[in-house]
Amino acid sequence: MRQRTRLLKIIFVFFLLVVPSLDLSQVRERFPKPDFQTDYVRPNLITPATRSPILEYMDIFVLVAVLFLVTYSAHKQRSRRQIFLLMVFSLVYFGFYRKGCVCSVGAIQNVSYALFTSAYAIPFTVIAFFVLPLIFTLFYGRTFCAAVCPLGAIQDAVVLKPTKVPAWLANVLGVIPYIYLGLVLLFAATGAGFIICQYDPFIGFFRFGASFGMVIFGLSMLLLGTVVARPYCRFLCPYGVLLSWMSRLSKWHVKITPTECNNCRLCEESCPFGAIKKPSETVHLENRQAEIKRLAVLFVLLPVVLIGTGWIGSRLNIPLSRQHFTVSLAEEILLENSGKRTEMTDATTAFRAAGKPTEELFEEARIIQDKFKVGGWIVGGFIGLIIWIKLINAFIRRKQPEYYIDTGMCLSCARCFSYCPYEQVRLGIITPEEADKLGTRKVKIKQFRA
Amino acid sequence: MNRRNFIRTGFQAFAGLTIGGIAGLLFSRSSSEEMVWQLDPNLCVQCEKCSVNCVLPNSAVKCVHSYSMCGYCDLCSGYLQPGAKARDTGAESQLCPSGAIKRTFIEDPYFQYTIDEDLCIGCGKCVKGCDSFGNGSLYLQVRHDRCLNCNQCSIARLCPSRAWKRVPASQPYILRGDESKRYLES
Amino acid sequence: MDDNKNKTSRMGYNIAKRIALVAAVFAAILSILMIANYIQTKAVDPLNSKAISQLMEQLQENPNDTALKEQIRALDLLARKAYFTHQWQLRTGSYLLFVFVLVLLLSLKYMSSLESKLPDLSESPSPDETTENRLLSRQYLIFGGAGLFVLAFVLGILSQSELKNIGIFRAEESAKAAGFPGINEIRDNWPAFRGPEGNAVAYNTDVPTEWDGRSGKNILWKVPIPHPGYNSPILWGKKIFLTGADRKTQVVYCIDAESGKILWQAEMNDIPGAPGGRPDVTEDTGYAAPTMTTDGQRVYAIFATGDLACFDFDGNRIWAKNIGKPDNHYGHSSSLITYQDLLLIQFDQNTGGYLIALRSSTGDLVYDKSRDVEISWASPIVVNTGSRTEIILNSNPFVVSYDPRTGQELWRVKCMQGEIAPSPAYADGMVYVVNDYARLAAIKLQDTPVVAWEYIDDLSEVSSPLATKNLVIMAASYGTVTCFNGKTGERYWLHDFDDGFYSSPILVGESVYLMDISGIMSVFKADKKFQLISRSELGENAMTIPAFKQNRIYIRGEKHLFCIGNELEQF
Repeated sequence: MRQRTRLLKIIFVFFLLVVPSLDLSQVRERFPKPDFQTDYVRPNLITPATRSPILEYMDIFVLVAVLFLVTYSAHKQRSRRQIFLLMVFSLVYFGFYRKGCVCSVGAIQNVSYALFTSAYAIPFTVIAFFVLPLIFTLFYGRTFCAAVCPLGAIQDAVVLKPTKVPAWLANVLGVIPYIYLGLVLLFAATGAGFIICQYDPFIGFFRFGASFGMVIFGLSMLLLGTVVARPYCRFLCPYGVLLSWMSRLSKWHVKITPTECNNCRLCEESCPFGAIKKPSETVHLENRQAEIKRLAVLFVLLPVVLIGTGWIGSRLNIPLSRQHFTVSLAEEILLENSGKRTEMTDATTAFRAAGKPTEELFEEARIIQDKFKVGGWIVGGFIGLIIWIKLINAFIRRKQPEYYIDTGMCLSCARCFSYCPYEQVRLGIITPEEADKLGTRKVKIKQFRA
Repeated sequence: MNRRNFIRTGFQAFAGLTIGGIAGLLFSRSSSEEMVWQLDPNLCVQCEKCSVNCVLPNSAVKCVHSYSMCGYCDLCSGYLQPGAKARDTGAESQLCPSGAIKRTFIEDPYFQYTIDEDLCIGCGKCVKGCDSFGNGSLYLQVRHDRCLNCNQCSIARLCPSRAWKRVPASQPYILRGDESKRYLES
Repeated sequence: MDDNKNKTSRMGYNIAKRIALVAAVFAAILSILMIANYIQTKAVDPLNSKAISQLMEQLQENPNDTALKEQIRALDLLARKAYFTHQWQLRTGSYLLFVFVLVLLLSLKYMSSLESKLPDLSESPSPDETTENRLLSRQYLIFGGAGLFVLAFVLGILSQSELKNIGIFRAEESAKAAGFPGINEIRDNWPAFRGPEGNAVAYNTDVPTEWDGRSGKNILWKVPIPHPGYNSPILWGKKIFLTGADRKTQVVYCIDAESGKILWQAEMNDIPGAPGGRPDVTEDTGYAAPTMTTDGQRVYAIFATGDLACFDFDGNRIWAKNIGKPDNHYGHSSSLITYQDLLLIQFDQNTGGYLIALRSSTGDLVYDKSRDVEISWASPIVVNTGSRTEIILNSNPFVVSYDPRTGQELWRVKCMQGEIAPSPAYADGMVYVVNDYARLAAIKLQDTPVVAWEYIDDLSEVSSPLATKNLVIMAASYGTVTCFNGKTGERYWLHDFDDGFYSSPILVGESVYLMDISGIMSVFKADKKFQLISRSELGENAMTIPAFKQNRIYIRGEKHLFCIGNELEQF
């Protein structure tokens, strides 16, 4: 037995000297498996199971249930308190219990990835998380945002003194989610990565742990959120773009008043998200002709702008494609091969050890760059189109005699309901006569705490 | 029905059909199974990044041990420092920075090595040792009782050897040795 | 009553305010502590402590210093404790912080809920859609949008990718190919299966016609080759290369052509990317059927596992890779061949074939041309047909020719069937292909190559045909040798030998050397009439192709490598 250990030692030293030149990923039986003389039994390797599929389906069930309840609370009960409680539940369940994964916002990426990568089998739950909120929104408005989305909930929880973002600023900042959406789809479709997840500001709080940058970003978002209500939802969230489209088309959207608006103005300041629009000014413009001419020019220029922005987008393929592992690896390998860099990275070492031909890698990288080129055309054109539509909208003048809800922005959070005198009538707090008097603005309203 | 309403209904139908179409397309490519993250030990290069890149403070990647492959060596290159003078359990002899490997005497000259997962930080130092000089019975795996299964695994994103992939939840480990067979059977 | 309510709400407000203040102070203190903790652990990573590694180095020098050992142990324990304590602190800290922030939030929310959010109704409402707002919207949309796209444009212009310029590197590299040996140097050596260009012709030789392996007559040396292999020796300068393999081991041998000494041998069991588990092969093919090749600078070897490696002449491995486990029910046996700076591999499998070209200096893929043919065991020939160089592959059902530089297909003729082992032969504008149960087909190269003539009896099963300027000779595995007029297909003669042929006829000067399965070499005239010159025994079975150089023949038998030369010339 002494001899055996000595032999092992010699082999060990031999390997120390010889083996570093070999490929380490190879598994070989260098030492024979022992035949035990004693009745020793080899222990089992324990492999803890993944989360049970039943629980996965329960997630879908909870999603549907909460969506349903929120919609019911917003449309039928018209109760902010219920919605708030549901929101807290979602925050606890989807946020702190499920650690924010998978969420509907992130599911966009899985969908985009699945549509362009046939090898990826998208799980059933992810499809449900992507599709169900959209369908609900198409019928009932953004009730998902009101109390189901954990990202929205954590921001809603910190809304303390919301200030009004000027309409023009909100309008201009509203472009950012579109840009974000475009990039998200591009990166996910090309397999470069899931940037929503990478730059999720709040998921670190749900997990009680995050990288330093994540914590800083999340904290600043929350601090900003105390004065600017739900900044991520309004000025970043890419899923919000899709939801706002659906919400604009929604069949039944919540209304501020249960009956009829008498323009009493009481709800005017109640929306922290700026979704309640006031009646528009009826100032007569002197240079109407010039305005119409400008509008016509905008329409004529639209194709030029689309081609221009698309072209610029396609030119970005090189910096954007560097986000893709294969491309950045290919460039690193190329740098090393050309002698411009002498130090190898972990990735290039691993690649070289695997023995795959570099030409093959370069070819793959070029294909990905080409994909980014095509994607760049589409995303560039898309962002150009959005900006142009917003611009055209800033020229079109609509008559708006009444208060109305911008259904794209409204999150159906039910904050404004209690400000309406007729809602208070419905709840039996004041009499219809008192409510009618409110039109003359003489009676103080008994305000609900929300 | 006026024209405005008609157009609106048209758009609604369009939106509904689009969602339905995408959903249908996705269902045709979907798997009823959840996908989970796992790393392929055959591609792993033991860069030690698994121990720091996980979103959990204590990484969900741990070292596992395929006992069926282990040589039960006295001179274990996964347990002992490369230049270790003595084959004992002293800190100066141990390779593991957190002392997560337990060495137990079985019979002359065999020793069993057991991983204490609560102490293991998933750095893969022992894996490198075992892979380079031993049978390769020590290797890294995602432990699914710890993994949060993030949509985009932050270790996978930064893995230099692309060893990470999504695997079906029913087969969530990529094991070595007889353990892999047993695992496939069950 | 209203007053009472006011009072309670004011009291609630004040209490909430105090709670908020306390929670905020605690949260702030906790945050500072956690940040300090974070910075501290970032600064000193307890698990990769420098102090410990320094002590470890010291220990390497004085391995018996027990005090040092104790110090390391203590420090290590401290470091580990620090690490896990830090984790505990961070976790507990964040839970505590969460609670404080929650309290703070709740009290702040309560406070804000007491504040009225009613608009100032004394003033007339300021509408959202004011002209001013519109103008600002327009302005910032235009400026913002323009700024964004200008920025994107500049970024796009500034970033360059070297990946696009790889084509240029490629051209430069092929210019380097000029350093490769010319055709004359190649013909002075025996660089591949069936000699220079793979065409079974030995040039500039003066070899004996008679020997005897049993008595040792004209046998200059013989050495045992440890591992079996049906591959044939190749030769460059004074070095012979061949391979041997069994299920476990793959070896490349380099043998001194003068003495027969094994100069070096290299095991190839650690090829990057090699799949686990060796493929199953039949005994008559083995793991080392493909013959090596050389371009005069390096040697290349491939095995039935798909493991491929490149060595320099001194046995240093330049590169190695696995090109995929061949799906081959007998075992991969197509031999390698080079053209300038390219290494070419006929890789026909059950699941689709490829012509693979690798950069011989690096092993990088240059092209892999997919082939719509059945599996085959034949080897390619690289010949200059006058106007261009072609690589010609025999396979079922097509015989296909490619441009070796690009892998572009030049022509194809459908004339084969079955499991093809014989390689093509080329002479004077004609390509000859044969397979058992198919035909011997003579393909005339012209704008559209066609089968000029064919012959369907006494066909060769393994042995490749030999083509000279006027003649075609083929040897069947049951012992017949047939000779034809290469242009017309007229049969000149047929001779029945005792034993069958797996080896192939080689043209050496005016004679044809052809060895049968039992190792007996028949030498006969390359002529319209059959004229046997000699028959010499090797003394052991042989299925390989002999290598010829100057006045030596090198033959690999079942167990030994023989060197045959004129003994009298030695002295």
